[in-house]
Amino acid sequence: MATIHNEIENWLAADLHGELSESEQSALHAHLVDCAACRKAHHETKTMNKILEETLAHEKPDPAFERRMLAGFRNRIPERTGVSKVLANLMRLRATQITAVAAVLLGLVQIGRMLTGENAAPLPSRENYVREGFVAQPPQAGATGADQSTSLAKSDELTRGRSQDLALNEPPPPAAPASRSELDKETAAMGLAAAKVAAATPQNLARAEQAEAKPGETPAPVQANRKLIRNATVQLEIVSFDDSVQKITALANEERGYVATTSSEKQANGKLRGTVVVKVLPENLDRFLQKVRGLGELKNQTLGTEDVTKAYLDTDARLKNAHVIEQRLVDMLKTKTGKVSDLLQVEKELGRVREDIEKMQGELKYWDSQVQFATVTVSLAEKEMEEPAAFLIKERSQLALYAPDVEKIYNDIKALASQKVQVTNAQLNRDYSGRVSATMSMLIAPEESDAVITRVKSLGRVENFQTQTERIAQGGSGMSENAKTKRDKVELNITISREEQEQAFQQTSLRIRTSSVDERAKDLRAVAEKQGGRVRSSTFSRDPNGRELANVWLRVPMKNYPTLMQSLDSLGKVENVTVQRQDRTGTQIDEANAPADISIQVYSQGNIVSHESGLLATLRRTLAQSAGAIMWSLRMIGVAIAFLAPWVIAIVGVIWITQRVVRAKR
Amino acid sequence: MDASKSEQYEAAIHGDREAFEMIIRTHSRTLFAIAYGVLQNREEAEDVVQDSLVKAWKTRWRVRDAGKFPAWLATIARHRAHDIFRKRRAVSLSNETIEATESHPADTMAIDQQLHSALAALPELHRTALTLRYFEEMDYRTIENTLGLTNGALRGILGRALASMRKQLRPALASPD
Repeated sequence: MATIHNEIENWLAADLHGELSESEQSALHAHLVDCAACRKAHHETKTMNKILEETLAHEKPDPAFERRMLAGFRNRIPERTGVSKVLANLMRLRATQITAVAAVLLGLVQIGRMLTGENAAPLPSRENYVREGFVAQPPQAGATGADQSTSLAKSDELTRGRSQDLALNEPPPPAAPASRSELDKETAAMGLAAAKVAAATPQNLARAEQAEAKPGETPAPVQANRKLIRNATVQLEIVSFDDSVQKITALANEERGYVATTSSEKQANGKLRGTVVVKVLPENLDRFLQKVRGLGELKNQTLGTEDVTKAYLDTDARLKNAHVIEQRLVDMLKTKTGKVSDLLQVEKELGRVREDIEKMQGELKYWDSQVQFATVTVSLAEKEMEEPAAFLIKERSQLALYAPDVEKIYNDIKALASQKVQVTNAQLNRDYSGRVSATMSMLIAPEESDAVITRVKSLGRVENFQTQTERIAQGGSGMSENAKTKRDKVELNITISREEQEQAFQQTSLRIRTSSVDERAKDLRAVAEKQGGRVRSSTFSRDPNGRELANVWLRVPMKNYPTLMQSLDSLGKVENVTVQRQDRTGTQIDEANAPADISIQVYSQGNIVSHESGLLATLRRTLAQSAGAIMWSLRMIGVAIAFLAPWVIAIVGVIWITQRVVRAKR
Repeated sequence: MDASKSEQYEAAIHGDREAFEMIIRTHSRTLFAIAYGVLQNREEAEDVVQDSLVKAWKTRWRVRDAGKFPAWLATIARHRAHDIFRKRRAVSLSNETIEATESHPADTMAIDQQLHSALAALPELHRTALTLRYFEEMDYRTIENTLGLTNGALRGILGRALASMRKQLRPALASPD
């Protein structure tokens, strides 16, 4: 009760506002009955509440308040219409926001690329290259592995077939699966090894070939339990077949081998050709081959090694297996129990097994013999010592001509064509700058050749003339001294170029200082023309400082060169003369008519003081430079922004998303 | 808070105009009560509500928790009202002398005026709580939420507010009875 009394105001307020629970209400009322002071307060509060309600009712917003608020809001924030509304709605979609951000990022990246001038084309990717490399390798490994495994699998199958045949009603013999699993293991190991080696396979192969091609070197040490069959073939060209066979036999004896077979054949031209098969001990094979090669001219040689270890071991195992079966069958016959038909069956089977055993034993023996001796097949052929019967003399000439009018000469030469003179090729070329050149080929009858060549030479200036004579032997018989010679048609290749293109025989450059450049340049042209020269090009320029400069390039025949040089002295002060002469050795040159190039620079001193000086000019330059510097730094800032902005945006985006996620979790 | 309301706030925050207008319809009276609690002037309070709504629309993206949207609106309105209040005080200071001459002694004032001055004498929070209660007849929980008060605090606030007013108005209260 004391609490109610102390906090009577709170209780009264809550009571008036209907915020008391039922139990609280009854407690309050009970207290009010007891306490006079609180009763008074209750009374007063009730009155005041009434006044308050009445007074504040006037201040309450009127019923149209909400509408007013809405109207005011609409007034101040007009609703979007049309496209902007659609856009605004679109922008509220998460997908649109993400797309927009992505687009902005991409755009910035592009701008960055443009600013830095980075090429947009992707680099020829290393990745691709590497991938190709990898793709290329494994099939090789697979192939080699597969080859081996298939060949082994075949022998496997054989074994299996045999053991199944043998099995009949009995349990399979224990040896077969044992050997099979062994083989399987080995196969797997081989496959692995092959795969490992495959990466370097090409080099390895090459090395192996090299090793084989050098029989002088000792072969890799052969493991004692390996069964290797070595074979070699040698093709030789020798003078006498019989001599060589004798020598080979002697060599074979030396190397503790023997000649297995010899065969020979006489050819249409009376020469002998044949083969000798020699067996030598494998360890002596290389030495033997070296000796044999000394007998004549080596045309071809191969050396091969076949590893039959696997097949050998396989057959060996099967043989043992067959022996076991044989023994069992024999035991069965000995006990003689069972039906007669069964016994007959057993006997039949015994016969088959024994046949197999013999076959296998024969196989092993054959391999043993093969392994014991290496086989060398020597193919011999006698040399054909024939002499040519006649010679054909072929003459080829190259002629380079310079002419003022290429087309005219081209047509002149074409006009020379007759029965004895044949134009095989004629080509007139005009390049993009209008320069004309021609190439022609002619075949001239030997008797006419000198006259025609002289005629062609006279048409233009000969820059170069070369003749080449070749003696070609033709089939037949007889000694070279009395062989007939015959002149073939002369081949003449002509190239015609315009004189302009001719490289100058002598190049001169000089400077002339004068006060009136323009006039002197004109004089210069006049002088040149008088001396039979031609102005090839000329330029004239005047710079802001009043300096004048004229460049003139002239071409004159060598014979007029000295005169021209002398007359130049009259034009002004000649300075800086450099002369370059190009002596072409080994070619005939018409020196008097060869062109000489002269490049002349006529110049004046001009004003010493530049217009570009003084305060204003300096200011202007400074301003221009600083403007340039500012532009440059702006550009650099642009680059920096373009590079950084995507990162900043990305980081802000990530932070924003993580915040959202964290808040969502909370 | 029920889900539909929360969705409405969310939509408004994301720029759904219709949702926002719906909020204007349901909440502007509350805002008015708050503004009136500060200013005790209907016209000014209306302006405050208007301004607050516009400002809320423009800065709606700042609201991170849709559930706190009404409280945020209330804060905007209170701040805006304070701004107006400060301006008014600056103006009224210059007019003080005139007002002083026009003021009447307390006992001659009508009961309305006495009540108003008693209201004015209350702390702002108490006044706002009163206006929310008497204008909108809100229950205590809603008022506490709107004003950001802890549970049960309002009972004490309203009790003290009524008590202090009662003391000021005691002479006037006695007379009509």
